[in-house]
Amino acid sequence: MKPFGKKTLAMLLLSCMMLVAAGCGSNGSPTQEDTASAAPETSSKQEEPVKVVWWHSMSGDVGKAAQQLVDEFNAEHKDIVVQAEYQGKYDESLNKLKASLGSDSGPSLIQVYEIGSRFMIDSKAITPVQQFIDADKYDTSRLEPNILNYYTFDNKLYSMPFNTSNPILYYNKDAFKAAGLDPEKPPATYEEVAEAAKKLTKSGQAGGSFAIYGWFMEQLFANQGAELLDNGNGRTQAATSSLLGSDAGVKTLDWWKRMVEEKSMLNLGRKTDDTSKAFAAGQIAMTLDSTASLRSIVKSAEGKFEVGTGFLPKADANVKGGVIVGGASNWILNNRPEAEQKAAWEFIKFLAEPKSQAEWHINTGYFPITQKAYDEPIVKENMTKYPQFQTAVDQLHQTTPSLATQGAVMGVFPEARQLTETAIEEVLNNKKSSKQALDDAAKAITSKIEEYNKTVSK
Amino acid sequence: MEKNISLVSPLPRESSRQEGIASLRTSRWKERALAYFFLAPSLILFGIFLFFPLLKSVYLSMFLTDPQGRVASFAGADNFTNILTSEVFYNSLWITVKFILLTVPTGVVAALLLAAISIPKLRLTKLFQFFFSLPMAVSVGTGSIIWMVLYHPTLSILNYALSLIGISPIAWLTDPKWALLSVALMTVWLNLGFNYIVMLSGMQSVPEDLYESSKIDGSGPFRTFFRITLPLISPSLFFIGVVSIISAFQSFAQINILTKGGPMNSTDVLVYNIYQDAFINYRFGIGSAQALILFVLITLLTIVQFKFGEKKVHYQ
Repeated sequence: MKPFGKKTLAMLLLSCMMLVAAGCGSNGSPTQEDTASAAPETSSKQEEPVKVVWWHSMSGDVGKAAQQLVDEFNAEHKDIVVQAEYQGKYDESLNKLKASLGSDSGPSLIQVYEIGSRFMIDSKAITPVQQFIDADKYDTSRLEPNILNYYTFDNKLYSMPFNTSNPILYYNKDAFKAAGLDPEKPPATYEEVAEAAKKLTKSGQAGGSFAIYGWFMEQLFANQGAELLDNGNGRTQAATSSLLGSDAGVKTLDWWKRMVEEKSMLNLGRKTDDTSKAFAAGQIAMTLDSTASLRSIVKSAEGKFEVGTGFLPKADANVKGGVIVGGASNWILNNRPEAEQKAAWEFIKFLAEPKSQAEWHINTGYFPITQKAYDEPIVKENMTKYPQFQTAVDQLHQTTPSLATQGAVMGVFPEARQLTETAIEEVLNNKKSSKQALDDAAKAITSKIEEYNKTVSK
Repeated sequence: MEKNISLVSPLPRESSRQEGIASLRTSRWKERALAYFFLAPSLILFGIFLFFPLLKSVYLSMFLTDPQGRVASFAGADNFTNILTSEVFYNSLWITVKFILLTVPTGVVAALLLAAISIPKLRLTKLFQFFFSLPMAVSVGTGSIIWMVLYHPTLSILNYALSLIGISPIAWLTDPKWALLSVALMTVWLNLGFNYIVMLSGMQSVPEDLYESSKIDGSGPFRTFFRITLPLISPSLFFIGVVSIISAFQSFAQINILTKGGPMNSTDVLVYNIYQDAFINYRFGIGSAQALILFVLITLLTIVQFKFGEKKVHYQ
């Protein structure tokens, strides 16, 4: 008696092989598609539409708005097909890109968050959009100068801004009234925020809560006109050390910590999701969040209370500074055939059109990257309906351009953010003083920058 | 096996001695080839998913990688010396040890208790057995999401329950004093199903007559449990001990979902630290070196457990 017939054995082996092959299959299949889409370029341009794969990180309602823009573009352009693919949050998507570099399973166009910019440039895997701008004689003067500032390195625009936002102060107008505060006059300085928070705190409601989010720290630095890195925030030359431990940082953390100690400010952890939920539930009366959340915050408070918006608080009333442009930009990968890159550029141009930006703005809360969008009737209508939108726009326009408000650039930005967040936690939990926590974090960030500079060939 | 071989190469009946030896040799060779043939599927899978990555880790641990994860320069033993002299590593190691101490003994004792109370055949015993082993059907990811809602900073159900008995809300995951404890609690619950099933099956295999004779001799329930049940299920206890320690060392998903190593690195266990270095910051060199150190630690610990723990184990 044989335990296995030859056939059964063969089947068993075969199924093992197939299991292994199936594991590799998911990587293999996009490659085939890619070659298929690259092929028409050599034969004829008219017959087959050029396929542009766009990796983005827009989910939920914002994702739907992005898909809507893609659909409109595809309907307008018969020779190009844009395929939008959600690849997870910004860091997940960037990690996937890192894994795909050097193979041809990557996208033609990718949306990368602002702090990934240095990495994208150093990766040498992209074609700067400046090339297309020059070839096309595209007029960039109608784009917001503050936004262009952020993405311009060595006088070259490397990527095209797409969705930009900045942090604003959200407050509960009804709670302000109840506490005897002026609901039309949001607190503008650290001192005013602390006072308001104290007055707003009562049983079941804390004055406010800020998520422990490195981005807020970066913004509060810029709002004091302070630079985060040496060498002009890493813009005049590659940065070599972090300035996190400077006075601007210490002042900010001392203020934050004092409010937490006085129990007028809650520590709800790192997620802005959690603070905005608490805000909508009326458990906190003030919070910091991105303008991109404006629409959902206003919607979640509907019927419960009126949402007010104010500028990001300043350390002092007369300190010069402003907000950094947050958000993301689109990058064209250089390992794609030229026709595909050009098609991607067409799509980028479409996204920057006033009409697209107007639609994008009212559906999300990201502000338009082109000033012409404000003339579109739908935007005007939206501004009267949701006057809160105006705050973000004013805040952007009142920002004085400087190296501080242009924003820091470094290759290890995501990591620096984690270290900053840990430092904030150490202070809020009484483990270290503000000065010490920030100095320690600065030291750690500096050593990461050194290591990065060592491995990146200039 | 033997039958199989005779099928593959039946020995010729009439042959000279030398021919006999030669054919014996070929048959031995064939026997080996056949063995490897049967082993091939698992060897291939192990090779691709275990041995190759292991060798690659050893290779990577000696290099620095650039931000894209490509090998950039030779570092020799630098990665290891960096790790062994860094505060972060010892912090992670200490947290891992605390995590093991929090999860392993509690997990084993809890499973033991549940198994002990659900072994007597009463009404609803089957139902309780079903409930107690239920966490096994929940994956780490799903379990973590459930506990994330339970631990939510403002919408927490646990805090609501506490408020009913007059206890002020606890910042489960955002307070560094609580975070590790919260993750440990969730992990104990998660592993309970598996531990419970192993304990229960261990207890069920204890012969009934032993209990009967001890009863006749006048032994009470506690004495029976400690003198008869415990020694007889020591193989299960030993197995659970070894497996739990290894899995506690390797806990990752719940930490990634619930705390991401925070707040203040209070839940930054070794495996999470490795993940951060290798797959978030793309420093495969230092990540690999750390993984190898973890590998050595687990191996040593397991050897120690076998050396000393196994002596106390009683196999029937």
